[in-house]
Amino acid sequence: MQQVVPLRTRISLTPYQIAQIVIGISFSIYLIYRFYAVLIVERTYGPDTWLRLVISGVVLGAVYGLIAIGYTLVYGILFMINFAHGDIMMVGAFGGYFVFEALRALPVQGGSFLDVYPIPSVLLAFAGGMGISAVGGYFLEKIAYRPLRSAPRLVPLISAIGASIFLENAAQLLFGSQRRDYVNPAVLARGSGWNLSVAGSTVVLTYTGVFTFVLSVLILIGLYLLVQRTRLGRAMRAVAENKPVAALMGIDVDGVISRTFIISGALAGAAGVMWGIHLGLVYYNVGFIPGIKAFTAAVLGGIGNIPGAMLGGLFLGVVEALGPPILGWSFQLADVIAFAILVLVLVFRPTGILGEVLTEAKV
Amino acid sequence: MPERLRKALTTGAVFAVVLVFLVLIGFQVTAAQLIGSLLGNAGTTAISGRSGLGLDMLIFFALIGLWAGMSAAPRRTPDLWSHALEGAALAGGLAGMVLGLLAFLVAWLNAAGVQMSTYLAQLVPSTIKLFTLNLSASRIALLDFVLIVLSALLGAVLARGVIRASWPRALNDRLGRPLERLLGLGNRAIHKASANRISRYGLYGLILLFALMLPQWIGPFWNYTLGTVGIYVLLGLGLNVVVGLAGLLDLGYVAFYSIGAYTVALLTAPQPHHLLWSFWIALPIGIAVAALSGVLLGVPVLRLRGDYLAIVTLGFGEILGTLARSDALTSFTGGPMGIKDVAGPTLFGRTFASGADYLYLMAIGAVVIIFITMRLQNSRVGRAWVAMREDETVARAMGVNTLVQKLLAFGIGAAFAGLGGVFFASRNQFTGPDDYTIMVSINVLCLVIVGGMGNMPGVIAGALVLKGLPEVLRQLEDYRLVAFGALLVVMMIVRPEGILPSRRRRLEMHADESLPEPEKTGSPSPERATHDDVRA
Repeated sequence: MQQVVPLRTRISLTPYQIAQIVIGISFSIYLIYRFYAVLIVERTYGPDTWLRLVISGVVLGAVYGLIAIGYTLVYGILFMINFAHGDIMMVGAFGGYFVFEALRALPVQGGSFLDVYPIPSVLLAFAGGMGISAVGGYFLEKIAYRPLRSAPRLVPLISAIGASIFLENAAQLLFGSQRRDYVNPAVLARGSGWNLSVAGSTVVLTYTGVFTFVLSVLILIGLYLLVQRTRLGRAMRAVAENKPVAALMGIDVDGVISRTFIISGALAGAAGVMWGIHLGLVYYNVGFIPGIKAFTAAVLGGIGNIPGAMLGGLFLGVVEALGPPILGWSFQLADVIAFAILVLVLVFRPTGILGEVLTEAKV
Repeated sequence: MPERLRKALTTGAVFAVVLVFLVLIGFQVTAAQLIGSLLGNAGTTAISGRSGLGLDMLIFFALIGLWAGMSAAPRRTPDLWSHALEGAALAGGLAGMVLGLLAFLVAWLNAAGVQMSTYLAQLVPSTIKLFTLNLSASRIALLDFVLIVLSALLGAVLARGVIRASWPRALNDRLGRPLERLLGLGNRAIHKASANRISRYGLYGLILLFALMLPQWIGPFWNYTLGTVGIYVLLGLGLNVVVGLAGLLDLGYVAFYSIGAYTVALLTAPQPHHLLWSFWIALPIGIAVAALSGVLLGVPVLRLRGDYLAIVTLGFGEILGTLARSDALTSFTGGPMGIKDVAGPTLFGRTFASGADYLYLMAIGAVVIIFITMRLQNSRVGRAWVAMREDETVARAMGVNTLVQKLLAFGIGAAFAGLGGVFFASRNQFTGPDDYTIMVSINVLCLVIVGGMGNMPGVIAGALVLKGLPEVLRQLEDYRLVAFGALLVVMMIVRPEGILPSRRRRLEMHADESLPEPEKTGSPSPERATHDDVRA
């Protein structure tokens, strides 16, 4: 069958698009120049350092990805930024911390429970962290968001900001403002790992890092199967598509939304425990910065897109790790790079790199 | 189980959680001190146990038990005595049991010599001593249980005759409406007085005289406190333009505040640039730089709406904050150490040094801002902002140049914040990155929302309540932010238009109340009815 092809497409650009193109091209040129300067001319760092940076970026990115999935799930269904999501992660991190502390104090034959039975300990920590975060997510939705379902859009966002402030400061009052060390089981001690020899020096591939990365990927696969293959997943997608019609089809919309919050809370809790195990510190606002970065990751991957959120997280983690040396900045400015990516993506490509899965235009 | 018993148990569970939370954040100590100072027995007994402060703490628990009983008593017909008492007994019993259990645990662990403050920061020995009243574990548990149950029963007896509405509306009716009526009366009196020219000018004169004298009467502490409130009034009035009028949620508002402060600091301080300009030259430059940065931030985010805009502005604020904190800009902005010896203004050879002087300056600034905003609000620009806030697409279709209007809103809001920053840096004679955290943005947003978006008296009231009250009630300082967070959530549920809303806003937020209730399936919001025919 023959298709009618227009002979000539008129190209017309708005000033905004021209600005986009100009900024994009000049930025790319600058980036290429920096790559050339750092990698070929200056050779500031050897391959071992680059590898170290990539490893740390990938691991951190996996954690961002897990948190980002929570944003994506909730945004996909309610079209609201769950501003308190990072604080739900903090709650999970504390949950895991207390499980570890309790097990460390539990004496068994040959030492403490934590060191003698590392696998049950870690499982218990994840159960504790994910459980408390899931409960937190459930009540967050029930108290702060459900009464506002039909309110103008800014209202639930402000409520979410309030919930976030509340959670952070409640944690500060409950647990104090000091940073607490996560004491891992001896097997998973931070810093120990496989030694790779690269360009004459050793690069440590830490056990905690590998553990974090593998577990995140497993969780991601599980979640993807949940959303694509199960009844609940189908209900979630239906609710995201159109709530009234989903309700007409016999779906309990409120129940599905509750369960979405439970799932996203559990994911944030898992991310929190991983954060603790891998990076080793928990404190009352540990979730704030990762929360914003994970939101960036979610937008980067395209809101509503689960694999996209994971890829966005990995991308952000790596860029954040490699950005400062490539641009010749100090590592203090890693956050600036992450936030700059957030701003650039939202401004120039709000549908994300992989594209939104949602049908309507949300922006 | 019958529905009403389940409800009573739910109420009891909620109160149990609240009680445990309050005890774990150590609030019972502060509450006991407050009650003690109200009753006049504070300080008579140190934290020793059975009398004085301990009694005050029990009064506090009893008050909560009372509230629990009141909310647990069923309110609908048939409101039998037996039902009310049954509900209160169940709720109070559950809450009392949980509190008793907590007291038992704390007392028992304490007796066993466990250092609980390692994990729960507030459970220091003195707090534990007060909480357990130096009694044995089982006795204090029993005492707490009996106390809560009895007070809950009393609450039910009280409630049966008093409360018959559900709590959100009840709260609104009890707090909001009378306040509104009171303020309405005041408003009407002012209107009546200002109808006549002589009484109008007399009124203005009186207000002016009072404002002029006030800083002389109250001491330096109050002047300083009011100065802090004043800076937040300036910030709130600025954010009111951006969020309240134009409907652009800006979470990075602190950026413009810091830009104003840093500009004046860099221009007047001996370090790091040794420019030593006069304050009066630095002031307009600070405002202009802040306004310019507002416009510059506005350009790229023009196309974004709603929550994406909020996140982008948050990102901008964090970028600036991180830059200011890092060592990268130390030579330019002083880095993490900040800038010392920022100059204050001098006028006719007199240096502005005291809090009172700055209070006058800020009052002048606030009056100028209020005047500008009032003129803008009722002009073509103000109407364009409101139209844009309600529906951007429609506003554009009506011929509003949303591009220009958004930039204008951003620029003006940023200029006001810059003014606040200039005053802040010069009053403290110092500026450093730690003063400009995300919490400033959130505080300002809180006071605008709680006060009443889009309404200037509301914003000023919000600043007084949210910044002034914690300064007065020093004991509550630790709990301020927790209360803020909870307040924001409750406010959005109960009264999203704020304490003192503009009339238009109130009609918007309650547009659906005259309509039949929307079905409960959580369907997406029905398009809001607009009330453009109602002139504020």
